[in-house]
Amino acid sequence: MLFLIEYNRHRGEIVNLRTFADSERRTAESSRLTLELELNRQAIEHEVVLLEAIDEAALRRTHRRYFETLGDLARAS
Amino acid sequence: MTSNLSKTQIDKLGDRLRKGDITEADLRMLDEYRLLFSDAYEYVVETIRNRLGVEPTGRPAKSTGAIREKLKRETIRLSQIQDIAGCRLVVEGIVEQEQLVDDLRSVFDDATLVDRREQPSYGYRAVHMVVVRDNKVVEIQVRTALQHLWAEWSEKLSDIIDPGIKYGVGNEKLLQLLFRGSRLVASAESLEMRVADDERRGVRFVTLAEGRRISVEEWKKNQTEIKKELLQFLLDVIEESPSLTGAYNAVSHRIQSTSRRNR
Repeated sequence: MLFLIEYNRHRGEIVNLRTFADSERRTAESSRLTLELELNRQAIEHEVVLLEAIDEAALRRTHRRYFETLGDLARAS
Repeated sequence: MTSNLSKTQIDKLGDRLRKGDITEADLRMLDEYRLLFSDAYEYVVETIRNRLGVEPTGRPAKSTGAIREKLKRETIRLSQIQDIAGCRLVVEGIVEQEQLVDDLRSVFDDATLVDRREQPSYGYRAVHMVVVRDNKVVEIQVRTALQHLWAEWSEKLSDIIDPGIKYGVGNEKLLQLLFRGSRLVASAESLEMRVADDERRGVRFVTLAEGRRISVEEWKKNQTEIKKELLQFLLDVIEESPSLTGAYNAVSHRIQSTSRRNR
């Protein structure tokens, strides 16, 4: 699965998460560019990243900073 | 994936990204450049899945923000950045990490090993492997659970408090905590490795630094307890770390939000 994440670094929060099937790789890549262009037009400095994992649980394990607060990190290990 | 982008064009793009004023054309060109890594990335991820039977989390392309930060921070050209594409594997402990790194070396025999356990980067410890496929570089990160927890802590503090923290810049109390945490993880994992080595060699008794002679089974039990205590220590300091920044946190946040571009 592919996950397109829009992340507000200063707030440490995900703004938007979109998922794509493995077969939709090109669509996911195109969506990443469209989102980056849109944010750039609006002068919004959010991190945009496309990640790939077997499922969302695996993604949440390997990229916890996108999903968890420091408190969550401390509690959920 | 092919492209007509020349190295000069790529590095000039990198210069513009470093300076900060990014146009739509720049974003499109950066996207085209990042897509050049797709085939190499897919080869690496598929090889790990099919040959080793493990599931990495992949990042086909580094984010624009992370590329810009790297260009600003280091005297590096865009065409020299080695982690445009990459993937991450997290394993339980250092014994499993060693095994996985050996396995990866057997399937990517010309990969370059970057052992950040030996030479940590501002406290960051992990093993990175750099695979080159058709002149495109893909980075594989292999972390233990403790190394990963430390890295996520450092990243999160960098996100919400100061982007410099993961590069050793910022609130001194936090930096000290991170360095101490990293050193403790290193010591605990070094002990874990020594216990596993002795176990494998069939050693039955060891003499501890304090002079006491114990069985390897007891030594292993102690080592497992130490690891649990260290995990609890890390969890406690992670929970407390925002309060250590106090007023710094508030001021830093204000500066960051006021520094955003206005059009």
